Amino acid sequence: MSDLVIAHLYPYEMNIYGDTGNVIALRRRLEWRGLEARVDPVPVGADYDLSGADIVFGGGGQDRSQLEVADDLQRRRDAVHEAVAAGTVFLTICGTYQLFGRRFLTQEGREIPGIGVFAMDTIGGRRRMIGNVVVVTPWGDLVGFENHSGRTLLDPGQAPLGRVKKGYGNNETRRDEGAVTANCFGTYLHGSLLPKNPGFADELLGRALRRRHGAAADLPPLDDTLEHRAARVAARRP
Amino acid sequence: MLRLAAACALGRLAGRVSRLLGRGGSALPGLVAEKVDPRLIERLVAPVRRGVVVVTGTNGKTTTTKMLVAMLEAEGLEVVTNPTGSNLARGIAARLIEVASWRGRVDADLAVFEVDEAAVRPLAPRLRPQVLVVTNMARDQLDRFGELATTASHAAAAVRRAAVAVLNADDPLVAGMAAAAGATRFFGSAEPVRQAMPPDSSLYGAASAAAPAIPLDLCLERSDADGEGQVITLVRASGERATARLQVPGPYNGYNAAAAALAAAEFGVPLARAAAALEATRPAFGRGQVIEYRGRRVRLLLVKNPAGLNQVIRLLAALPPGAEILVAINDLDADGRDVSWLWDARVEDLAGGGHRFGTGGIRAYDIALRLKYAGLEAWAETDFGAALERFVGGIPEGETGYLVPTYTAMLRFLELLRPGTSKREAWA
Ligand SMILES: [Zn+2]
Repeated sequence: MSDLVIAHLYPYEMNIYGDTGNVIALRRRLEWRGLEARVDPVPVGADYDLSGADIVFGGGGQDRSQLEVADDLQRRRDAVHEAVAAGTVFLTICGTYQLFGRRFLTQEGREIPGIGVFAMDTIGGRRRMIGNVVVVTPWGDLVGFENHSGRTLLDPGQAPLGRVKKGYGNNETRRDEGAVTANCFGTYLHGSLLPKNPGFADELLGRALRRRHGAAADLPPLDDTLEHRAARVAARRP
Repeated sequence: MLRLAAACALGRLAGRVSRLLGRGGSALPGLVAEKVDPRLIERLVAPVRRGVVVVTGTNGKTTTTKMLVAMLEAEGLEVVTNPTGSNLARGIAARLIEVASWRGRVDADLAVFEVDEAAVRPLAPRLRPQVLVVTNMARDQLDRFGELATTASHAAAAVRRAAVAVLNADDPLVAGMAAAAGATRFFGSAEPVRQAMPPDSSLYGAASAAAPAIPLDLCLERSDADGEGQVITLVRASGERATARLQVPGPYNGYNAAAAALAAAEFGVPLARAAAALEATRPAFGRGQVIEYRGRRVRLLLVKNPAGLNQVIRLLAALPPGAEILVAINDLDADGRDVSWLWDARVEDLAGGGHRFGTGGIRAYDIALRLKYAGLEAWAETDFGAALERFVGGIPEGETGYLVPTYTAMLRFLELLRPGTSKREAWA
């Protein structure tokens, strides 16, 4: 039996910018502690029961895939809301993060409906926000690479993931980045995010393990020297 | 005509000034001359007797171009080609000016140009290619090129401008393109070889939809590692076949050879003679090139994107245990600032091979981390000199080590391996 089940949403449709690295990191960091994860790919059209997953991951995609995925995600709307309410851990990045908001308004004025887990709207822009990002969060400074033209505006009551120290984050002006609701996280940080931010990776794993196996499921520390070195270099790059 | 001559003269002058100032400046003459005569490229290629060949695609452009030029020159044809790395309009303009007479006339049988896949759309109507070759389409530096679907649509538009298209039948994004004249030739491979070159869509685990079988004009029947080279067998639809031993390793070079041989056939080069030219073709700059250094051999395997890295991983995985490998990743503009593509490559395929890994470049820790999460140990050294010392120190005398750099990391190492030669070779 696996210690954790990771559902990878749209792995074939949404997989640019190394997002699969996040799944590799989650799996490896469990293995290094003698624990095991099962990774279930959930492509567009798949019949999949989200209530069986401990961690749900969704990455960024190209525009064409995002439309396909938006339709499929509508079908799972209720299941996702139930899973979030039940404390399932979610990590959504870029394209999937945007669709976890209420809507995406394209530059041409077209509206792509999201599933409204996060109280936010995203508006397509002309200028792409590209570069290395550093975000201050309760789980330490997170380092990643962003590449998006959508500008995300959080409602006043919606908690962000953190404050931007370098780069853009959600938009060019407000200096907030990502969103958090219960155990559901959204962010623009590719990078890949989790390999270079091991503390945040362990935070996600810890939440999922405690939920499934109770308070005793503590994660022994690992040697993360290399992870921190890679993060330090990335934080200095343009 | 006067304007063309003036444009050429001014372009040449700009090149001389730039060299005097100590800048490489291979683009400057082209830029200056195009300012004087915006239709310079059209005018300069017009008198080329048998027309223009354009080679584009994500990976393999440089090697395919070099192979094709070798085949054509072996037939006694006079060929103009652009130097490695100068595959935008200004680079092509600069090369044409260089070979033109003072009156602005290019005396050649053929022009064979490697063209950047993001620049090929506007260039195709200007070059009006007799033959246009598309090697493959894979995601590459999305921070610079944008989406793959967009790049592919630009290439498809360029293909429609060609009299004859030479296309890769095994790459679904390429196979769907077709020449305006309807003269489309396909190269591809037999089943076992095809598995060594998965298209972009299958790199991420997507089941590659059973592609409709396209009848091949030229089939790469076999592509096997042979020492430090690659033995390939090519078969024409007519049944004509030829075997050649390439001087470069890697199954993907079999594809490049097939593309070149099929393009050469358009100019009457028989397969057997194309194969002979392939055997004599030396590796292109950084693409499998070997450099002697302190009694060791260093083989350069340039990487730019996940598809290319996967090809190199195939090659490395087949090396005997103990092989010394240095992977060096830079993140300057020419490399792509986003290094997250390292996580898209199948680095896990190297596990258990018993190779010795080091990492270098500005982002040495990133690639070391990627190797760590694939279960491989590697040292990391961001200083180029120190990394080279450590790498070369690990290669037994007389043996070969493998240096896998991104573009600007390669230029830095070349400066150390052969001081003063990297710039000259880059543009040679
Ligand atoms: Zn993104």
